[in-house]
Amino acid sequence: MSLTRLRSLAFVGLVLAIAVPVLQAQSTTGPVKKMKAAAVKVVMIESNEIKLPAEFQVSLYEDLIAQLEKKSGLKAYREGDRNAESAADLVVLYTTVTGFKEGSERLRQVTTVAGATSINVHCTFTDASGKTLLEQDIKGKVRFFGANLRATYDFAKRTAQLAHDNFSPTAGA
Amino acid sequence: MAGRIGRILLMGGAIVCAPLALRAQTTPAPPAATKVTQITGLSGVKNKTKGLLLVNGSNLNFTHEQLKVDVPVNSVEDVVTGNDSQRAIGGALGTLSMFAPYGGGRFLSLFRSKLDTLTIKYRDADGGLHGAIFTMPVGKAELLKKDLLAMGAHTSVPGEAHAAPTAKEQKQ
Repeated sequence: MSLTRLRSLAFVGLVLAIAVPVLQAQSTTGPVKKMKAAAVKVVMIESNEIKLPAEFQVSLYEDLIAQLEKKSGLKAYREGDRNAESAADLVVLYTTVTGFKEGSERLRQVTTVAGATSINVHCTFTDASGKTLLEQDIKGKVRFFGANLRATYDFAKRTAQLAHDNFSPTAGA
Repeated sequence: MAGRIGRILLMGGAIVCAPLALRAQTTPAPPAATKVTQITGLSGVKNKTKGLLLVNGSNLNFTHEQLKVDVPVNSVEDVVTGNDSQRAIGGALGTLSMFAPYGGGRFLSLFRSKLDTLTIKYRDADGGLHGAIFTMPVGKAELLKKDLLAMGAHTSVPGEAHAAPTAKEQKQ
């Protein structure tokens, strides 16, 4: 057996070793089954154990509502909104801050690698009766560019994406 | 004779000037608005909009050119002040300065100006909870907060919640 043939056999083996597990994973996972929801009510962010500055709390809440309206495809209601009571297929989003590190924009700009701001939030989606539908920890961070409050925007985008991936007004119809 | 004329002139001057002085005392000076930047949260206003903020009677007014937003002070559930800082050279020029040679951008980003933040939480007509953040020059946020508390707003900061009588208490 020539050296060239051995090389080509080794190459084919390598390609198969990579391709088979990838294809297997694709065939087993499939699309995520979405739950039916037409509207989401956002409850003000709680931070009982972690001391979160008021501007971060408000920014988290406002960014969350803006991103949910923009990306999730659901109608977003604010805490206390009387119109939410009559909304069909309503899910309620509770968020609790579990970690917060306020970095420094100046340090980020001067060093590039230090001064990141990060925020960890535990998100719980429940139905109107309070039954938990989905729980996940989501992190928001700003590493290089932007003010500290940009971490809340990052978190809001991820949460809206989570809602988009798991809830749909037409699911199960 | 000269003394008499002088006295008459003095009296005449006093009679002419008195109504003006009295009018100045009776008409209250219009409250001064504070230049602010609305970072986020005010309904109908884009993020990072500059404007004027004023506690005018029972409303918190934000004006930007023709745009005017009123928040009833009695719907404000929380007022919190804080401080922050921003780049001395901001905007597009600030971003471009990051590409300056020999670390010039990094050096420029060391220069920052301090500012105050005012964060409020309020309810809309449907009961929905809103939050708004404003930044303003140092020393202005506390004055606005005092005005808001005096007009009936609330704060979650302990010790300041009853610093000023609320509108309800004043009525009672």
